[in-house]
Amino acid sequence: MGTLAGSPPTDRAQACNLTSLPIDDQRGIQGMLCVILTEMSLFVCLFSAYFYLGIDKNRWAADQPPKLMYALVMLVVLLSSSAVLEWGERQISRQRYAAARIALIATIAIGLVFMVLQALEYQDHWKTLTPYSDSYGSIFYALTTFHAAHVAVGLMLLSYVAFLPRYGPLAAPFRPYKVVSLYWHFVDIVWIFIVLILYVIPHFTAHG
Amino acid sequence: MSTLAIEQRLTELWERPKTVRGWFATVDHKDLGIRYVVTAFVFLLVGGAEALLMRIQLSGPEETVLGPESYNQIFSMHGITMIFWYAAPILSGFAVFLIPLMIGARDMAFPRLNAFTYWAYLLSGILLYIAPAIGQAPHGGWFAYMPYTGIQFSPSYGLDFYALSLIFLTVSTTGGAANFIVTILRLRAPGMTISRMPLFLYSTLTISFAILLALPALTVACVFMELDRRWGTHFFQIANGGDPILWQQLFWFFGHPWVYVIFLPATGMISMIVPVFSRRPIVGHPYIAISTILTGAIGFGVWLHHMFTIGMSDMAMSFFSAGSMTISIFTTVQVFAWVATIWKGRPVLTAAMLYAVGAIALLVIGGLNGVFTGIVPVDWQVHNTYYVVAHIHYVIVGANVFPVFAAIYYWGPKMTGRMLNERLGKWSFWVMFLGFNLAFFPMHILGLMGMPRRIYTYPSGMGFGPMNMLVTIGGFILGLGILITIINVWISMRSGPIAGRNPWNSDGLEWETDSPPKAYATVHIPIVVSRHSLWDDNDEAYDPENERVLDQARMTPTTTVLDAEPVGIATIPGDSLAPLLAAVTMFVLFIALIFQLLWLALAAFLATFALCGYWLWPSTQEIA
Repeated sequence: MGTLAGSPPTDRAQACNLTSLPIDDQRGIQGMLCVILTEMSLFVCLFSAYFYLGIDKNRWAADQPPKLMYALVMLVVLLSSSAVLEWGERQISRQRYAAARIALIATIAIGLVFMVLQALEYQDHWKTLTPYSDSYGSIFYALTTFHAAHVAVGLMLLSYVAFLPRYGPLAAPFRPYKVVSLYWHFVDIVWIFIVLILYVIPHFTAHG
Repeated sequence: MSTLAIEQRLTELWERPKTVRGWFATVDHKDLGIRYVVTAFVFLLVGGAEALLMRIQLSGPEETVLGPESYNQIFSMHGITMIFWYAAPILSGFAVFLIPLMIGARDMAFPRLNAFTYWAYLLSGILLYIAPAIGQAPHGGWFAYMPYTGIQFSPSYGLDFYALSLIFLTVSTTGGAANFIVTILRLRAPGMTISRMPLFLYSTLTISFAILLALPALTVACVFMELDRRWGTHFFQIANGGDPILWQQLFWFFGHPWVYVIFLPATGMISMIVPVFSRRPIVGHPYIAISTILTGAIGFGVWLHHMFTIGMSDMAMSFFSAGSMTISIFTTVQVFAWVATIWKGRPVLTAAMLYAVGAIALLVIGGLNGVFTGIVPVDWQVHNTYYVVAHIHYVIVGANVFPVFAAIYYWGPKMTGRMLNERLGKWSFWVMFLGFNLAFFPMHILGLMGMPRRIYTYPSGMGFGPMNMLVTIGGFILGLGILITIINVWISMRSGPIAGRNPWNSDGLEWETDSPPKAYATVHIPIVVSRHSLWDDNDEAYDPENERVLDQARMTPTTTVLDAEPVGIATIPGDSLAPLLAAVTMFVLFIALIFQLLWLALAAFLATFALCGYWLWPSTQEIA
């Protein structure tokens, strides 16, 4: 024992010095990617339920498609918030942490505007459709509320990061800014699919 | 620095204080893994007791031990307990204990998440068992088909407990899966390339991805169920445009991958145990690895075979029947690899090996009758009969319980530091094997005779009586066999012979550590140069310059995904009460949701978020 005898080990094994390696800061991002994967599956299930319930139904979105206006405005709002946040991330890599923090707070503000618009949209929509009307109402409100809940959690996460004391490389070993940004971008992308599937497509398939 | 001083430093860094707070705040994967195993085993005993109650009721025609409603509640609790709170968590328990040791890491990638998922698992089980405690257990079977489980036919709180304790459990299971993925992909010891990974890691990695992709379907189904039951929506009611079949679609889209979640890690265990006791490397390592991954992938394309009787197009039936046949090929690859390993080796029939071989035999029977039920006309004939009950038990007991017992005999000494009694182990195996086959083989015949499942009694004169008596006797013999192992473990922990590092002369890195392993596992992070670290000539601990000690803080190396080249140092957080408290507030959240106390639910949600914030708050110590 004590020597590397027998079949020659790789050079890599012999020259393995761990003392000089940098601190790993990738695990948080990788954990978040797992969360996003499972959340993606969650929304795929919800969209599948939407299509499944819509097969062979008399009264469905095709009769009275939801109005496009709110959804499109909300789409623009959310996408702009993602752009602002992306800009903030770039400030981090340039070590301009104050600018990054401002970008984060701006993102939160835009996200709050989205929530207000969502409430107004519900108020308007409620006149013709409620979750209690039929299965279409149930799945419509379930899907959009699931998304709104994700936006709310995203806003809470962004606010948490806004309060963190430091953003530099020596802060937490988990790069919280990047982790939360990934989640926020994901929630925005989900909204694109909601607009497409729940709002836009029914206008093309509407029977007169 | 002398080795003794290094060991002392590492012990100070890693060992949890022996206080009450230390017990609750620990994030050590070895503590948590053992807790997982013990908790899941308790659920096995509870579920087993429920099964025996059912068997007493069914031992003869027109028995009156249980009434119809209590029978329904008990068979539902039996299925729910075994499928959700025993079968997967016990495998997670072994994985939590073993995986960091197998890859030469000092803990999981997210140790506090690991603690949280354990506490959430425990508390979700307690939440489920509040239902029978208040006399309102779920009574819709473990798959709780709509519309029977709607508010109209099931007004008690039973199914609310079902839906919300399952959602709570999915939070725990999802967290665990993410933890396994990052741990296995990032924390492997330098040199443990993807092709040198032990097969148990392949199976756990596969099922972790399956969990991430499949579990949301269960969450969505349970949310819809709860919304329909208590909040007036119409997902499952035909009258308002809903569809009860939606429940079945969502449930089985989750349910079939779940079968592989409770099956693949157990086959991974067999792939670890069989070669050690055949005294040779496993035959076809890459083929088993690929079969494992393909089983997980194709497992997403077979779910309609649970629903052949609901009416669907010929094309759908053919497709899903063919998918079900395809998946049996991958299991067959594994079975042939095990048989070839035994054939070409010099098998030693220890208790662990007996359980592994017994598992292979039962899995073959369960696989074959599964192929039968995958054929559409046969399925129509035997659907909802005892034939299906026989199939599910051959697969799950054969490919989960027996491998778990093999694991108890094989890895148990690593966990406790003491050997189990081989003679008692072999007795336990033969009693269990005999009892199991006596209990479940006659069910095939009962099913073909037409005895439906889930009936609380049957009239005399149907000819079901004698065989049911046989089943009941077999059930009790199976229970006796399990009892022998429990006694064996108890004796072993008091007076078993000391195991030492590597009692079986195994090949895996976990046997490089002490039994039980030190809190920091090994002083020197091992270096891997082959698939069988302890069977090659390389000394994993060779490190004269102390370059792989990492005793500045709680640290373990991170490596690249494919080639396992060291690229960084992962800091491991210390003990914390936050995971336990977050699990408790989440428990309150789900209680509040069951009884529709919205303000309490909101408060509990915010408390959970605040606790998670506290848990993740960067401490200045971590910078070091």
